[in-house]
Amino acid sequence: MNDDKLEQILNSIGAEEIPSEAHRIAQDASNNFSKFLRQPSQPAKPSLWELIMRSRTVKLAAAAVIVIAVLVGLPFLPKDTASVTLGDVAEKLGQVKAIMYRMKMHVTGSMVPGIPQVSSDMEGTVIISDDFGMKMEMDTTMEMETEPNAGKKTTQLMYVVPDSKLMVMVMPDEKRFTRMEFSDDLLALMKKQNNDPREMIKQMMGAKYTDLGKSEINGIEVEGFETTDPAIYGGAMGNVKAAGGAMGGVKVILWVDAATWLPVLVEMDMTINEKTRITGTIYDYQWNVPVDKSIFEPVIPADYEAFPKEGMKMPEMTEEAAIEGLKIFGDLCGHYPKQANMMDLMQEISAVLVEQASKERPGDMTDTERVTKTMGTMRPIQSLGMFYMALVQDKKEPVYYGETVGPEDVGAVLMRWKSAENEYRVIFGDLSVGTVTGEQLAELEKQPPK
Amino acid sequence: MKHSERLELFENVRSRYSVFLTSVLWKLTGDKELFTEAMQYSLFGMWRNVEKLKGEKAGAYIYRIALTANSKAWRNRVGRNGEIPNDPIDPAEDADERLGREELAANVRREISRLPRKQARAIVMRYLEQQDYQAIAERLSCSKAGARSNVSRAMATLKSKLAALV
Repeated sequence: MNDDKLEQILNSIGAEEIPSEAHRIAQDASNNFSKFLRQPSQPAKPSLWELIMRSRTVKLAAAAVIVIAVLVGLPFLPKDTASVTLGDVAEKLGQVKAIMYRMKMHVTGSMVPGIPQVSSDMEGTVIISDDFGMKMEMDTTMEMETEPNAGKKTTQLMYVVPDSKLMVMVMPDEKRFTRMEFSDDLLALMKKQNNDPREMIKQMMGAKYTDLGKSEINGIEVEGFETTDPAIYGGAMGNVKAAGGAMGGVKVILWVDAATWLPVLVEMDMTINEKTRITGTIYDYQWNVPVDKSIFEPVIPADYEAFPKEGMKMPEMTEEAAIEGLKIFGDLCGHYPKQANMMDLMQEISAVLVEQASKERPGDMTDTERVTKTMGTMRPIQSLGMFYMALVQDKKEPVYYGETVGPEDVGAVLMRWKSAENEYRVIFGDLSVGTVTGEQLAELEKQPPK
Repeated sequence: MKHSERLELFENVRSRYSVFLTSVLWKLTGDKELFTEAMQYSLFGMWRNVEKLKGEKAGAYIYRIALTANSKAWRNRVGRNGEIPNDPIDPAEDADERLGREELAANVRREISRLPRKQARAIVMRYLEQQDYQAIAERLSCSKAGARSNVSRAMATLKSKLAALV
């Protein structure tokens, strides 16, 4: 781009008229903020406003961590929930530069069709530094009828190294490690500034929640907030209904120190598909713990094997990547995934992959080849899930018709979302893309798939 | 300062700078959602720093707050690489040309949000507000040559970041 062109663009931006809508938005925002400041309780919790504004970011960060967990250990999906909370807490560190906490999780059931029922306990320590990254050490004890190591405790270490855009999982028992590259989007999520611990309060405020009032934990006066709103997990878990619903339930209780508003304890209980239940607690929070960069540098002994050798890449959250995911799924199955939310997607593709694997003869592929192939298939499909999540959390009103629209339905709307006022972006059955008005969309959606 | 005094000062400042904030933030964002977020961050920044918004330097502080708010809003637009929703279509204009121009403008805006603060202020004042170098120098508390240098460095940074696009 030359100087003239750049100047031309800058000047044209400078010459733009400010639309009356901008003045109205500014006036509304200004009046609302002013009203907020005049609320009697405001001086005690001045940062609440800012916290509320970041809800999308927090949910996206949580969603990103779900994906990391899913990508790393498909058969061990229980890790998801631990990581959701980890992602949330990582976003909540405000003035705190380093935080350490402990977590316990118990999982029963089978999240992936075709994988036997599992019961596992996880217990670990997480340390997060704004400056250096994150380290998680997790001990897992699996109970699975067909698992030869049933009852045996395994240890995993996970490092997030923002400077290198890397996540590294080290599995000492297997003498293996996995390297994953972050996309810029995910890195941005992981590096979000102002990780205020009170973000969890705001996150719950973004969902429907109940104030449980005051209580006491270990001599500390605490206030509890409970939510059973699946919205707390953004668009990641479409089939998790509110507690008591047909498909399952989610309950998260956050206890915060009444004086500092810092989390003291998080209790989680989630049921998915009536089969899988995940319960857990996060506790022993320590704020501003002294940290040294070396703690966050992955320690990989020389005799450990990279698995897979070339490392892995994290999924992207773009329209193009989502379309690629739809294409890969369509090519593999002859139809599109039934749902676009991450959990349903992962279950559906996992079932397909498990079936495929059952047809393979022993020795067809090495472990590394199998993992590489699986991840190559899953990454773009996860991109679809992440893209959908971002749309949900951005309130872009995404609608997905995978249950009724297939690759042969050329002009039918497969997925659509709002891109501007009275303007929608549409992915059609043949995976072409277009932008239409609200009226055009209504016409398109009236037509049944051929 | 008492809460009531802070409130009164805040109300005065927000009323005085409302049009300025709206204009600068709209030009920097060019998008309703980003603009709303940047405006909210600006208001919050003004409230947090309201004690500094008395006297002559208030304008300079507001500028800083607005640019920081703009950068935060852009940073929050994760996963979409600063994609900007389109304006209502002008049927007289060639669609490809219009889309190309909008995309370029969106990319320029995004890169402005990533500039160092002083360079961002300089480029915004020079091009988005069409101010002369003397005025920029006064607002940046530097010489006229310094103002030119900041604009020129900002242009160089933008050019290098946008080099691959055109």
